Amino acid sequence: MKKKKLDKVLLLAGALMLWSSFAMAQFKVSGTVTDDTGDPLIGVTVLAKGTAVGTFTDFNGKYTINLPGESAELEYNYVGYATFTASVNRSTVSLDVVLENATTQLDEVVVTGLATSVKRTNLANSVASISSAELTGTVVPTTTDAALYGKATGTNISANSGAPGGGIRMNLRGITSINGSSQPLFIVDGVFIDNSSTAAGLNIVSQAAGGGSQSNQDNPSNRLADLDPNDIENIEILKGASAAAIYGSRASGGVVIITTKRGRAGKTKVDVSQSVGFTTILNPLGVRDWTEDRVANSSRYAGDVALYNAAVASGTLQNYEEELYGNTGLLLNTRLSITGGTDKTSFYLGASFKDEEGIVQNTGYNKVSVRLNLDHEIAKWLTVGASTNYIKSAADRGFFNNDNSGATMGVSFSATPAWAQLLPDADGNYPANPYAASNFLETAAKVTNREAVDRFLGGANATAALYTSDYTSVKLILRGGVDHYALNTQAIFPNSVQFQRDGNGLNGVSVQGNTLNTNTNLAAFLVWSQYLTSGISFRTQVGLTNETFDRDNILAESSDLIGSQTNVDQAGSRNVSQTRLIQRDKGFFAQEEVNINDQIILTAGIRGDKSSNNGDPNQLYYYPKGSVAINIHEFDILPEALSQLKLRAAYGESGNFATFGSKYTSFSPFIVGGSSALTIANVKGNENVGPERQSELEFGIDLGFSNNRFLIDATYYIKNVDDLLLNADVPSSSGFIREVTNAAALQNKGIEIGLNANIVQTATVNWFSRLSWWKNNALVTRLDVPSFTTGGFADFLGQYRVKEGHSPTEIIGVGADPDDDGLVVFGDAEPDFQMSWFNSIQVSDFTLTFLWHWKQGGENINLSTLLFDLNETTHDYDDTTLDPTGALGNGDYRLSQLGANTEPYIEDAGYIRLREVGLYYTIPRSTFGDVCSVTIGFSGTNLLNFFDYNSYDPEVSNFGSGGLSSGVEVLPFPSAKRYDFHLRASF
Amino acid sequence: MMQLKNIKLYLLAMLFALAGWTGCTIDDVPDPNNPSLAPILEDATLNELRALALGVEQLGRDEIGFYYDVTSILGRDYWFFTSSDPRYTGELLGKGSAVLDDAGFYGTRPYAGRYANVKQCNIIIEAVANSKADLSAAERLGFTAFANTMKAYELLLALNLQYQNGIRTDVADPDNLGAFQSYENALRDINELLETAANDLNNAGDEFAFSLSPGFAGFDTPATFRQFTRAVQARVALYRNDKASALSHLNESFFDLAGDFQMGPSRYYTTAGGEELNPVFRTPDQSEAIVAHPDFVLSLDPADARNAKIAMRPSGAISLDGLTGDHDVVLWNSQSTPISYISNEELILIYAESNIGTNNTEAISALDVIRTGNGLGAYAGGSDDDSVTDEMLDQRRWSLFGQGHRWVDMRRYNRLDELTIDRPDDDVWTQLPRPVSEN
Repeated sequence: MKKKKLDKVLLLAGALMLWSSFAMAQFKVSGTVTDDTGDPLIGVTVLAKGTAVGTFTDFNGKYTINLPGESAELEYNYVGYATFTASVNRSTVSLDVVLENATTQLDEVVVTGLATSVKRTNLANSVASISSAELTGTVVPTTTDAALYGKATGTNISANSGAPGGGIRMNLRGITSINGSSQPLFIVDGVFIDNSSTAAGLNIVSQAAGGGSQSNQDNPSNRLADLDPNDIENIEILKGASAAAIYGSRASGGVVIITTKRGRAGKTKVDVSQSVGFTTILNPLGVRDWTEDRVANSSRYAGDVALYNAAVASGTLQNYEEELYGNTGLLLNTRLSITGGTDKTSFYLGASFKDEEGIVQNTGYNKVSVRLNLDHEIAKWLTVGASTNYIKSAADRGFFNNDNSGATMGVSFSATPAWAQLLPDADGNYPANPYAASNFLETAAKVTNREAVDRFLGGANATAALYTSDYTSVKLILRGGVDHYALNTQAIFPNSVQFQRDGNGLNGVSVQGNTLNTNTNLAAFLVWSQYLTSGISFRTQVGLTNETFDRDNILAESSDLIGSQTNVDQAGSRNVSQTRLIQRDKGFFAQEEVNINDQIILTAGIRGDKSSNNGDPNQLYYYPKGSVAINIHEFDILPEALSQLKLRAAYGESGNFATFGSKYTSFSPFIVGGSSALTIANVKGNENVGPERQSELEFGIDLGFSNNRFLIDATYYIKNVDDLLLNADVPSSSGFIREVTNAAALQNKGIEIGLNANIVQTATVNWFSRLSWWKNNALVTRLDVPSFTTGGFADFLGQYRVKEGHSPTEIIGVGADPDDDGLVVFGDAEPDFQMSWFNSIQVSDFTLTFLWHWKQGGENINLSTLLFDLNETTHDYDDTTLDPTGALGNGDYRLSQLGANTEPYIEDAGYIRLREVGLYYTIPRSTFGDVCSVTIGFSGTNLLNFFDYNSYDPEVSNFGSGGLSSGVEVLPFPSAKRYDFHLRASF
Repeated sequence: MMQLKNIKLYLLAMLFALAGWTGCTIDDVPDPNNPSLAPILEDATLNELRALALGVEQLGRDEIGFYYDVTSILGRDYWFFTSSDPRYTGELLGKGSAVLDDAGFYGTRPYAGRYANVKQCNIIIEAVANSKADLSAAERLGFTAFANTMKAYELLLALNLQYQNGIRTDVADPDNLGAFQSYENALRDINELLETAANDLNNAGDEFAFSLSPGFAGFDTPATFRQFTRAVQARVALYRNDKASALSHLNESFFDLAGDFQMGPSRYYTTAGGEELNPVFRTPDQSEAIVAHPDFVLSLDPADARNAKIAMRPSGAISLDGLTGDHDVVLWNSQSTPISYISNEELILIYAESNIGTNNTEAISALDVIRTGNGLGAYAGGSDDDSVTDEMLDQRRWSLFGQGHRWVDMRRYNRLDELTIDRPDDDVWTQLPRPVSEN
């Protein structure tokens, strides 16, 4: 290492001296690049450092390069392999190179810009990068976001429920908005993809939003679920403004850049895999252990002693948790991928078929995804590429979460004691549940709640080398993309179910929604790279971007269904509503990078953005950024053992658009005396509304030891979000009640530490281990409106409070010693810290990988337990672990506190879980006559879970992914664990 | 090579074309989901103006439940028993040491509800002035006079709640609200609005350019609507102690001693799809109940037809929070019962009151119209001012029961201390606090 550096310095010095006299001198080097088994590598980038001169290896791994000057340093880059550097000079005629598999992340190239990438060693930010192997190499992830759990520092990922088809919220470095979204922007191969959640309109039956609580409680999935994680080559996570500033007004929640797999020239590779698995409830709670005494002493069931005894006598005392959540769901996943190409054209074809059942009868998720990525070189200077993906998926999500009508399965289950008889008779007729408005077994059998998606993601790009000389290159990059989907939601409640028949409910309900969503983006970039012989290089880029977002949702609600018909016109009463969203954004950016010998890397840039969502659609908002990375190890002053020492600092700003519609003062339509009427709405639009603004400063240090076998990175960040949009009260004599205003600020501070170690590196044994630790603290630093509570049902049931000087996610309730607001703080949704531990152990042909994830602290509002308690059915109702006096059972104790003390329902939602574990055996190629290699294996997701939380899973959210209200639980679809067996053949 | 260069130039040109296209302005996106305020203020279509006029009726009937419940509870016409909110029997009745809260829904919601309609009326006035729709000057006056009348009516209700706190009467610009006007000056402003409207209606042609709901049947032309304007003005004149003006306004109203008591425009409710239901109606004999104040029940002569406004609860007496009553209020006996803006019965009572002190005989004969019309014999008490006033206030109590008049009337005559309190520490409030958002 040391010697090589010295060589380099000498060579550069030599080059400098020779520059004046032999500036135009040239020499030629050629050779072959192979992997460690001797197979040629096709498409390896060979670049002369400090120049714009470069080439690729051909079909046989051969290359030839014409170099300026007297000597040069050649860099060989190939994805998945360690970068190799060699010094050459006029006397070097031939150079054969063997590339080794990449053993550390350091050699990666990271896509940070809109059009450019940077070597990780030169990066000034902490950018999490997750490879295909980490993403899908161990288990079968249900969705792309579920594949990210515990794999990146600074991320907080939480499932909203266990319903098939996903539904996940993801925050990077804390929450960044109070009313708006804190979700990151997702970009797939340059296409801005929609990740919204569309409510199915269940409220007409559940009445969940009736009791003064907010909608949406329909538990929809988020649309990132459509993307097949198996197609992904790499995911990079830009966690805050310092890294993501060039994404401007869309980047306040961070940016997740997803790059899919692409073909390579060479022999066509075919990969076929099949997995078969099953899923079961993650944490069954059990049901209350009834005795005759307990029935007799219950306030609710005292009259049911005879029924109880009869059930005991006839052996029909039921465990309804098993009946409802006891389905062992079959999981089938089939996967095919074909890659290959010639020296001009390459392709990647990936197809997935997924058919997965849920733990509740008639729930499940199936998906077909086909992706074709093509690249073609039209001329040496002009390449084009296309990415296409068609997805068809359907999720049957069951009927869960809060309701005020007793109709959801969870609420009905909570109200049903063990002696109730709900099983169908021989003819399949379900008896009415005498204890609740619905028979949940009947609901599971007959009610449909389906999300079906047809989606097309398409992207195209062209790269033109407009001018190339030895020390200069000018490239034009054009990129366009479209994300189009049709989402059909179907919620059908036949008039034969208990809560719709015999004058109950609405005599059958059919709610069908159609959402058409189209996002487009177009961009053009000009990248000018200039290399000086002094070892300093400059890269200048300018770009223009244009994005459009259109969503059109039509929801038809029909009730009083005719017979067993489900079409929305086969109904006595119909109601239709339409909601559209139209957004137009334009922007530009400019960025300058200066690389001084890989020793000091400076970047400065600015983004300007305008949007039709702003009060003035043509006002440009500017977001600057700047960063510096100093590679001290490049100065050759460090001891041998310390192979990397990088100091880095980055600053950037970004924004968050006002929620669509914030600028409009609207009228609402009504009918008066049979004619249409318009009335002024009570929210005053803000004609001057602007984006929420964020600025982030991050510092870090990266250390590498013993040839980078051991790596440590540590980052500290301060993220300030200002101009947060809130609905503030206005004098009601104005005719309005509220106005959207920029009225608050908050701050996130956090630490992220990563430790990578190649603990064992031998020919037959490899053990790689990564330990990550991260934490975030948030604080409301300014609030121009009085403190307020939000995100729950009522203060006495636990809510979030936004108050200056406090955490924005603090959970309050009522209790002893209240503060100025009459409230008591019982917790905070923010975890104390999170930690993950990834291991990959390879012993000859066996590979064992596992991932532990520890979330310490962070509280939930557990209203499932409240509903069980109110119905005296809680599994721990009779335990006596809570009452300090030991007199009351847990259920009675919690109920005795209801209204006076919220504490029993605010619970620690921390956990330690074995997220992923996989054991694979690769049968040697020779077994199959070198035709193919076969891998067999077993994997498990969430197999081991340790938490004190008194419900199915501390990862839960009744209100989905929006706003502050994560972690409110009301009888959700319980989470599941899964076991998969794998067979894979590669040809 | 030349060709290559050309292609590259072409690509560069494309980049600059894209730059020009990207750099150009973004068209403002109008609200795709609902009509927006700005374009309607700039140039509303005739259809939009018509919908706005009907919107006044919508806002007039929406949220009005809070106004009637709160004023009727304050004036001890009835109680509202509900387990969902203790404030109906607590703060509103001054239970114990409880006082009214300036953020309490009982003060803020009826107030905001009235001002929402004031805003709607101001929008009509501004929109009709700017609209390029094919409207004659007379038709435009029709819109404006309608809006001014309804605005005056809503301001009067808001003022009833706020009394000596005063209210803002000039609220056309939400970013620059006018000053609070004292009770007297606010009444003056309201009277001026009505006077302007009455004058404009004289020049508004034979027909309005808009139609109204069946609630305004018989009052839906400039000439007949003007009778409503004058009726409201008569009520305002009485509040201003200007009995002479009250009498002259009655002359131009639909006041008719021989007419149907219920005559007059009303808020229209129907169970038809998409319409509003009477917000004060509640199914009788439930645990959530509007319970007639026992003092009101006792005050009614058994022969009085107005006993039909209450009904004995079949399930017997109901108690809540130390209060007990056995009669439900059935004044609004269905979800589609209209709620009167102002009725001929009130106009007859205004006529009676306006004559007290100048022509007590005429006052008594008007009161007798009410008495006999409700199955009672003729008035047999003294004809001195005080006696006739007492009788007039009683008749108003019975005839205008449940519409917030009792509280306002007793306040006008400085007799709030005569209202019956039910628990030792209860209070009778003079006015509601100014809503917290106004401070």
